[in-house]
Parts: sequence; C-alpha cells; structure tokens
Amino acid sequence: MTLVPSAPLPALPAAPKMRPSKPSPRVCLVPPVSPSPCITERPCPVTTLLRPARRGRPDQFQSSVHKPADFDAFWAEVEAELAATPLDPEFAPVPMRSTPEVEVFEVHYTSLDGVRIAGWYCRPREAYIAGPYPGLAIVPGYVSEPTLPKSWAKMGYAAFGVAPRGKLRSNRQFNPGYPGLLIQNIVDPQTYSYRGFYADAARAIDVLAELPEVVGDRIGVHGSSQGGALTLSTAALRKANVACGAAGAPYLTGFMDAAKLTHSYPYEEMNEYLRLYPERETAMRDTVAYFDCLNFAPSITAPMLVYAGHNDDVCPPETAYNLVDALTNCEVTFHTYDRCGHDAGNYWEMAAVEAFLAEHLRPTTPNAGLRAQTTVG
Amino acid sequence: MTASASESTTPAADVAAFWDAIDAELAATPANPETFEIPLYSTEFSTTYRVRFTSIGHYRIAAYISVPHGDGPFPALLSVPGYASVVTPPQYEDRQRYVVMTLMYRGTRGADWPYAGAFPGMFTDGIADPEAWIYRGVLADHLRGLEVLASHPKVDAARVGLIGNDVALLIAARRPEVSAVAVTANHFHRLWDVARATEAYPFEEINDYLRTYPGDADAVRQALSLVDPGAQASRVGATTLVSVNEDGKVGDTAWWSSLTDGIAGAVDCYAATHEGQTDRDAIDAWLANQLGSDPNPRIWTPEDLGPWS
Repeated sequence: MTLVPSAPLPALPAAPKMRPSKPSPRVCLVPPVSPSPCITERPCPVTTLLRPARRGRPDQFQSSVHKPADFDAFWAEVEAELAATPLDPEFAPVPMRSTPEVEVFEVHYTSLDGVRIAGWYCRPREAYIAGPYPGLAIVPGYVSEPTLPKSWAKMGYAAFGVAPRGKLRSNRQFNPGYPGLLIQNIVDPQTYSYRGFYADAARAIDVLAELPEVVGDRIGVHGSSQGGALTLSTAALRKANVACGAAGAPYLTGFMDAAKLTHSYPYEEMNEYLRLYPERETAMRDTVAYFDCLNFAPSITAPMLVYAGHNDDVCPPETAYNLVDALTNCEVTFHTYDRCGHDAGNYWEMAAVEAFLAEHLRPTTPNAGLRAQTTVG
Repeated sequence: MTASASESTTPAADVAAFWDAIDAELAATPANPETFEIPLYSTEFSTTYRVRFTSIGHYRIAAYISVPHGDGPFPALLSVPGYASVVTPPQYEDRQRYVVMTLMYRGTRGADWPYAGAFPGMFTDGIADPEAWIYRGVLADHLRGLEVLASHPKVDAARVGLIGNDVALLIAARRPEVSAVAVTANHFHRLWDVARATEAYPFEEINDYLRTYPGDADAVRQALSLVDPGAQASRVGATTLVSVNEDGKVGDTAWWSSLTDGIAGAVDCYAATHEGQTDRDAIDAWLANQLGSDPNPRIWTPEDLGPWS
C-alpha cells in the first residue's frame, strides 16, 4: 500500500518503554547493501542463484517488434463491432463513498462481445466546483482493482476509474483470473484477452464524452503498468477525445522482448507458457504484435508523459525507451529514475503527473495543496 | 483522539481474549490440506503447488507454495498479502531460496467462496462488531497459512520468516516459531489515526464507513485497537526490520516507536529511500541474512556485465 497523508497526524505522546534497558532500534541512514554494518553477519549456504540477464544500456536496446500489415484493419474491425454495440451506460449513486466535495457513482456500460464493464465515476459537486469539467480516465494495473478516483475529482476532474473485463464487478462474463489474463488465447488475435480489454478502456472515453458536464475534447488518460499500456492504446484508439496521457512503467510494450528480460509477473506468465509449449512461440509473437503499444505509438497525437524506473524488473526500461522512440507524432515528456523499479519513481513523479494533466486539461482546482492518490500499477 | 488514547480504551485483557479465542478456534479446526502440483508455475529449480486448507468458520482458503528442489531443509518465507483481490504465485527470486508461500485469505480470488470480498468494502465489512468483522477470519487465515507453511517437511523450523505489511507482526506475536520479520508498510498500526489523516484508499474506507455510520465510531476504534500490532508487540520475539519514512511523515521512526519499543526481539529500522528497487534489495538482503540465505538483488546497471547466467 502507498500512503498519502493529506494532513499531519496528531502528535503522539512519547510511548512508555516496555523494557527501558533495551537499546534503541538501529537506524540505517544509508540503505544497506549486503554486507552492511546494519546487518548481522551470518554464514550463508553457498548457492548459485539465477540472476537477471546480462543487460546493456536501456536506450540502446533494439526492439524486435514488427507491425502486422493488417494492424489498422484489425482495429478498424474492432471499432466497427463497438459502433454496432449500444453503450447503454448506467450510473448508480454511491452515497457511502461520496463526500461533501465529491459525488461517487457506480457505472456500468456495454463493450465488445456484449460484456458489461464496471467503473467508478467521481465528479465534483456543483457547490464545490461548478462544471463543466475536464474528463480523466484512470486505467488500472494488472492485478490491482481500480480505485475510486475521488482525489482527482476533488482536484476538479470528472474522473472515471475503469474496471475492464476480468476485474471484479466486470467478470461475470469473462474471468480468466490472475495469473491468466496475459496468456488467455495468446495464440489467436481474434480471441486474445486484450482485444476486449483494450476496447473496454477505449469505451470509457465514450462514456465520459457523452456526459453533459464533461468537456468532450479535454479528456485525459492516466495509469501505470497495465494502466500505462491502456493509456497508450486508448490515446491511439480515441484520438478525437483524448487531449493528453500520462503513462507510467508502460506494460504490454515490446511483449516478447520484455518477457525475455524478466522473470517477474505478469510477463513471467509468457515464459511459463513457453516452457511448457515452446512450439507456440511464433503464434504468440504473431498475436501480441496486434496489441503491442509500440505499434499503437505512431498513431498517438496527444501530448504524452512517460515515466519509468531504470531498474524495473516488471516492465523492463528498455521497452520504455523503445516506446518513446516510437511516439513519433506527439509531444513526449520522458522521465526516468535510477534505482527505481516498478514504482517508476512515483514518489517524486506524481507531482509531475498532476502538473502535466493540469497543463493540458485545465481543471479548476480550488486548493493548490490538493494531491492525488499515488498511482500504482 | 490519538492512537495511544484509543489503545488505552481497550484493556490488554480484551486484546488477549480476542486473539486467544481465534487461536482456540484454529486449534479446534483441522487444516485438512490438499496439495496440487502446478507444472505451469514450476521451474527447473522449484516446484509450485496450490494448497487448499481450512481456517476458522470451516472456511476453505488457499495458497501457492513453491518448494526448491533438493532435500532441504530450506528456510521458509510467508509473503504476507496486502489488501488486494489478487494473489500471484511466489516471486521467482524467492522460489530459488525459500519454501515460500503466497496466501489467499478469505474474500480474495482463489478463496472467494462463499465470501467474495468487495474492493473497496471488504475492509470495513462488519467492523462495528469484532466478532463479526470479516477481518477476524482474515487474520485467522494468516495464522493458519503460517502453520501450514511451517509444517512443510522441507522447512527448517528454525528459519521461518515473514515479509509484508504490519500484519506480519500480528502473526509473529501469535506464532513464536517465526524467527525474522520484515515490515515493509503499515496497515493496522495506529490505523485510526492514519484514516483520520488521509483520503487515500484503502484507509479511506474507514472514513467512508464513519460518514455513513457516525454512531459506530467508538466500536470501530475498539475493533481497530484489537488488531493494532502495538498491543501485542511484547509477544514478538522474532528479529524485526521496520521500513521507516523520513521524519515528520506517517511511518517515521517516532511514529513506529510506540510499536518497535515494545518488541521483545531485536529491531532494525531501515530508512526507506523510496527508490523502489533500492528498498527492495536492502530488505531482501536483510531477510536473507536473517534466514541464512543469499541476497538476490534486482538492481543492475549497464556496467553489470559479469558472468550472469
């Protein structure tokens, strides 16, 4: 969990020492690396641990991704199916989660294959901030459930936390589980899990754009990890509405390369699959090419903020560099953080995300001291 | 009201009674484990199993357990789950060194029948009555998970570790076989105060609940004090590492001191850098040293061109 205190804690009286003779805890002011003066030396068994693959400079990594010749036609077919599917949005107020500043609604809408998709819609109350509002879609990480974007609404956005198919509340008709989603039908692009999943995220923009209180051409997208990937795919699939996107630690970018660079989940799902079924690698490679954010990137025109950790074991930074190189038709801001992993430097980067979205979406934020809940993948 | 004041409203005897009753119920409930090998999640150096077993209320919960190849005994590690609906198999680096468990407590995927947790919502489900609060069962599930892990025939009973949020300290307080605990985040310590100072989920669930049911405030405070690890710190004999924030923030050294000062075992505090991999590698190294294993760092640099496999 990441904790973002919005107010200082009340002072705590000095706790009584239960054993006054006990020495105070040792505090390591410098993070320990083994061996460390902070760490008690103990004999360790000699073992040979498998280590990360030999790495070069991430900005010099050569991507192996190729764009299928019918990539655009593939997604045009998806769009045609969506166009023939009524959105049928439903908004149910959720008083328990609402506050004096923000109204919360549970949302459902229809996406590809008739799957009902859930989400949380949070908007400022009129008495708190008068509309209209810029829209902001918050797209979720792989295993996390979409949080309620109340903190963004408090900052003046009509904010929508999307739960694409397979997430809780959107898994009645489709539930591949975790692990599972990444490799569900990964040998067939027409039925691969992310075909519907990407469509669900894009449709969230349609839901926002239909709302009278939302400025339809000032909608942003933001997320990290899988949320970073959905930021990119949605910016590509909804160019008319998406005014900017902030993508942290982008996942689903250079799938096959990434899997070879890591043993961390979710990409490890692909490695596990190929350990059992190595003969399916070509079919896997052919499928994921239709869903690779490197192939969506050139069609993105809205300004994008991308950030990554240089030591991300989950979404290798090499693929983030490849992504930035592939974003050839939009303004790109790229931030990297040494020694950060899948956190992608969010301890520092959240302020940059807030500033980037505010610059492009121009919310009426009543209090400059307001902060968004830290985005995690 | 401060956390210390709220703690003072709960007599130690009540805390003991709450937890003793959980232990008694667990003792009267056979775990009846079933183990299923999962080739998909197994590697050239370890085998992964899905285990189903029974916790209090005759609730069937689950876990992944990965066991290194070889005779052992190996150190054991319980990766304490956070507040999330999904639990994944153990991390690759841990599978190489430990008999390692990731636990699916009631309400999470894999253990969501008959109770499917809502996120948000599960945290406060029944909170006004500690006996009915879903977390009474959830915490029992953690204890039962530790029991199942520690009883594995390849586990070295002298080297059992926990890593995760401060629920790990509650487990260590109730299960003296735990020898090392790495606390990476707060969850229950001073939770009443934390909730009052933030609007971030999952803590905001407490605020949502209290806005809706303001008359339950005393009952909620009482429930939270029963599960504050500070109330049982003196029972923690394991060597403990706590990751601390910079001064002046929630989770700084002074904030944790009401807990760490009471811990019976040795306590180290790690000053978090917030560089995710720096912090992960430091805590990993500390735990490996405690459990007699090798650190397995994730940080690499372009200069790291050694003979890695």
